[in-house]
Amino acid sequence: MFTMREIDKRYDAVIACQDASLQVEPGEIRALLGSNGSGKSTMVKILAGLVKPNGGEILIDDAPVTINSGRDSRRLGIATAFQDLSLIPTMTVLDNILLGNEPKGKLGMVDRKISLSSVVALLERFHIDCDPDAYVQTLMPSTQSLIEVAKAVFMKPRLLLLDEVTAALHRDEVQLIFSVLRELKAQGTAIIYVTHRMNEIFEICDTSTIMRSGRTVAHVNTDELDLDEIVFYMTGQRPDTEEILETESCDHEGRELILDVEHMALYPKVHDISLKAYKGEIVGIGGLEGQGQPEFIRALLGVNRPEEGTIAYMGEEAHFHSPADAVHHDMGFISGERNREAMFPERSVGENVFAGSAAKGSLFKYLTAKVVRDFAQAAVDKYDIVVGSLAHPASSLSGGNQQKLVVARWIAMDPDLLLLDDPTKGVDVHSRREIHRILRQCADEGMTIILSSSENEELLEIADRVYLFYEGRVSGMLSGAAKTPERLVAAMMGMARNLNGATREVERA
Amino acid sequence: MSDVKQMFLRFRRTPAFVGFTLFAFVLVLNIVVQGPAQFFSTRSLNTLFSKNMPLLLTTMAMAPLLISGTLDISIGIQLALVNVVSIMVFQEWGVPLYIGFLMGMLASLVVSALCWGLVSVLRLPSMLASFSLIYIVRGVNVLIMDKPQGKVPAEFYKTYDSLIGGVIPFSALFLVLVLVVWLYLIRTKFGRNIYAVGGSPRNAFAAGINPVWVQFQASMVKGVITGLAGISLTLMTASGNPLQGEAYGLRGLSACIIGGLGFGGWGSMACAVFGAGFLVIIQNTVYYFFNLLYRLIPGFTVTSYWQNLVSDIIIFFGLLMTIVTAREQREALRQGFVKQFKGGEQGAR
Amino acid sequence: MQVFIRSSPARMAVIISLFLFAITVAINPRSLNMAAFGSILLLTLLLSFAAAGQTMVLIGGGLDFTVGAVMSSAAILTTYVMDSQNGRFLLVFTLAMGMGALIGLLNGYCSVKIDLPPMIVTMAVGNVVTRMSYVLTQGNPSGYPSPNFVGSVINKLWGFLPSLTLYALVLWPLVFFLLNRSRYGKQLYMMGNNPTAAQLTGVKTDKIRILMYVFSAMLSALAGMLGAAYMNLARCQIFDEYAFSSLVAVIVGGTAFTGGIGSYGGSIAGALLMTVLSNGLTVLALSSPVRNIVQGVVLLLLLIMYNRARAVRQ
Repeated sequence: MFTMREIDKRYDAVIACQDASLQVEPGEIRALLGSNGSGKSTMVKILAGLVKPNGGEILIDDAPVTINSGRDSRRLGIATAFQDLSLIPTMTVLDNILLGNEPKGKLGMVDRKISLSSVVALLERFHIDCDPDAYVQTLMPSTQSLIEVAKAVFMKPRLLLLDEVTAALHRDEVQLIFSVLRELKAQGTAIIYVTHRMNEIFEICDTSTIMRSGRTVAHVNTDELDLDEIVFYMTGQRPDTEEILETESCDHEGRELILDVEHMALYPKVHDISLKAYKGEIVGIGGLEGQGQPEFIRALLGVNRPEEGTIAYMGEEAHFHSPADAVHHDMGFISGERNREAMFPERSVGENVFAGSAAKGSLFKYLTAKVVRDFAQAAVDKYDIVVGSLAHPASSLSGGNQQKLVVARWIAMDPDLLLLDDPTKGVDVHSRREIHRILRQCADEGMTIILSSSENEELLEIADRVYLFYEGRVSGMLSGAAKTPERLVAAMMGMARNLNGATREVERA
Repeated sequence: MSDVKQMFLRFRRTPAFVGFTLFAFVLVLNIVVQGPAQFFSTRSLNTLFSKNMPLLLTTMAMAPLLISGTLDISIGIQLALVNVVSIMVFQEWGVPLYIGFLMGMLASLVVSALCWGLVSVLRLPSMLASFSLIYIVRGVNVLIMDKPQGKVPAEFYKTYDSLIGGVIPFSALFLVLVLVVWLYLIRTKFGRNIYAVGGSPRNAFAAGINPVWVQFQASMVKGVITGLAGISLTLMTASGNPLQGEAYGLRGLSACIIGGLGFGGWGSMACAVFGAGFLVIIQNTVYYFFNLLYRLIPGFTVTSYWQNLVSDIIIFFGLLMTIVTAREQREALRQGFVKQFKGGEQGAR
Repeated sequence: MQVFIRSSPARMAVIISLFLFAITVAINPRSLNMAAFGSILLLTLLLSFAAAGQTMVLIGGGLDFTVGAVMSSAAILTTYVMDSQNGRFLLVFTLAMGMGALIGLLNGYCSVKIDLPPMIVTMAVGNVVTRMSYVLTQGNPSGYPSPNFVGSVINKLWGFLPSLTLYALVLWPLVFFLLNRSRYGKQLYMMGNNPTAAQLTGVKTDKIRILMYVFSAMLSALAGMLGAAYMNLARCQIFDEYAFSSLVAVIVGGTAFTGGIGSYGGSIAGALLMTVLSNGLTVLALSSPVRNIVQGVVLLLLLIMYNRARAVRQ
């Protein structure tokens, strides 16, 4: 029996887990559920040895254990199949599956014959039709996911962790995994199954643990709950499936159509997205994490080229080759990943605010320090950014103030279309409200804003219309009166009314 | 027939394919320019092996490092280290040359361990750290041997230049030795581990492998092969010189890259061999090509400067080629992937 | 201690230089004379010119190993074209700048297109440039810089200040302008500090990268011209060591080899430190191998002191 108790984990200011707990017995398949920021991924990473908790304990058969590395985790009989794959792309399928567990032959060499036969048997069990000597990076994402699961199963673990492994799989492949899971269950393996697909939970899981905002909020038997209740535990709202597949019928007061995206596809995350944005609106994009939102936004920005679909910007077809191209056409981008994508930590606050303006304009015209200073000071005053001095490095600012700085940087450029990817993640409440106020003001003055967020309250607060993404498609578009938390949650979970009026989950076509 | 075709297709997918193609092409060119009779003569083949074994071995020593995700550009000057240690130990301590070679090998291992400490443990950037090592080893070399000196006993260097059974160059034995040992190593856990650590240190760690330890093992293998390279250099020059060999570092690295090795997890020893073979043969070809011009065009002379220039330009173009091959590979991957994805989607519908 | 160093590496470098110089004089009092002083100043200035381009490239996140090769080639070009004749300065200058621009373009283009570390790319280009110089001169460069030109470099103003300083009065503000008072410089810093963010903010990183290598090679060519005047002749590979010393000078001066931080003022201080160190090693009559070891160790220490990569496990 595996137990996690009072688990705490924080990353700087962000609390990932707080007093979280989890328990699973041999022969039990337990679902681990949670919406964005629930902490479920962290729990899995702790068991896999990749993350060390700040507090709490892990017990196996009531004896405390410490898991400090991937090796410890394996030694304790825990095998993990990761969502973002732990395969080595430049190695073969055979080598990947056996990695760390190569069978010993004579003279210390790896026994090729036994390796090959056992891997071939494994691939057959999973109906994976590929050459064991094929390089993993040449295989389809769904095949790679299957191999990731097969690799974990191959270790004959006592506890099997599956973290969102079915995201890339077709229906038959999911069924296949389920039949293997049932076999393992009969053999006494404990299984933790993380997913966002509700139908899978009811099909295969005996019990569920639901997490929200880092805490465990429920441990239940799956047959005691219905879908609405589960969603309620996950998000605090009871889902309402009325009117969520609304078409673009609402009145836009004759506003100009700034952005018109038709059937965009960008493999592997974006399958079919159509979206419209009118001048002066704030369009929200919501949904569970990893449903294609950041990829979609970056495709608009010109970071990646979509394989299918059209993008019409300002009435003309747009094919931006790079972000510089898009910025040149008066687009702006504010990322939630400040450190990776927006901040220049060693540069001063002043230079950071000026960065957008520095990227546009003639390269060699003389630029006095005063120009930069005045520009930065004006922005700092206007947006109430708390700074020690304009000359201090930007890394000295708090998260919220850093984000306000990035917002100030872009607003000063006066873009026609401003794209934001989860901008208030990890930002304090006060700064968040400030940023919302600024955005609203800009929209009123004619800027078009597309804001992707992992928090539903933010979308409800600030967006005029909200698109929900589910598995690379639009699962709902809400506007006006239909914009309620309950409907948002239903669309986020992929629940939609079919023509008969019964609730079902959006089919993965 | 389809079995052969299958084998060929499988080979085509390996990283060594590009290196092999380049090598084969250049080999044919050489044979044409030099003339088959001349090229295949035992004397010419022997010279080809004995003069170029140090470069070949240096390139092969680089392979385990590149595969495991690091590199060491001071490998060239380490050849000279082995050389001076061997000669000085032999000369000053009055022991047989074998002992000198052993000490030289030890010196190579020590420096390799030092490089590992800087790059894998202290996590300094490998290019700059190993570059500073060049200066340090250079200084140490001169401290050990202040000016070129020393003589290798005749029986040693004559054996090195000789032919076994009148056909096989003795120097080729070095190559055979390293290949045999490598073919064994690659089939052990070590062989899997270096690819994992080089391909994705994070995922290797998740699988229970210790990247730092694996890189140490790779460094030791590299140290041994470097030691052999230094020994073959000593036998080839039959003397000692503290400041030779520096160019082998960059050339060896270029040869690896041209042969198809990547900076972590991609490539094989075959890539190193083909890459070094390419460099060696192209230099040979250039030499004989200029000879040909000299005979064909009256009054045409060219100095070694021209030859060196052409060789270096070819190395440079070889490096440039990596764009083409990398881009092709990426594009092929993407296309196949998109095609399968779309096909798969339709299949499931 | 690290904080003190980081807060102003330039200041640190100057302090250490003075300290080292004091030690040198203490060990060998005869080494304190006008001639030595003048030569230290001159070499510092020359190194600071060579380091100008390297500073830019390092700030932008790259590495330029062609500094030495370009300098040597420019020196050869200078002596050959001038051929002891006055009045050819402008011609030589244009040719040298053209050569530098071409090599810089090659460096920049390759570093953008090839996915290899900049050290390898620029080393390979540097090799080709060096070989070319051997071929064109058959190993024996000819000619001498013109007397006027030589005078403009080594004449002593007020008895001690090398007139090379006049060149510095033009060059240093130019570099300062490029780095601190132009959008190019700001984009360069952004690109070096966080290339992803720079791209997403709209910086054309490819263009900036090529430009920085072009400027670097052009500045190296100028340094080579002036170096030829200083040495009063040119040989193949005469200034090759400047690849290493410019790199160390720049890093000592506080420019991170990862990019995004640094200043030209720091590099100038670094150049002073390197020159004083080299002078000290000569005065101490340290042999060449020991000097090599010291050089290698200095670079290693710098690498250790200024940030290292992150571990796999956090």
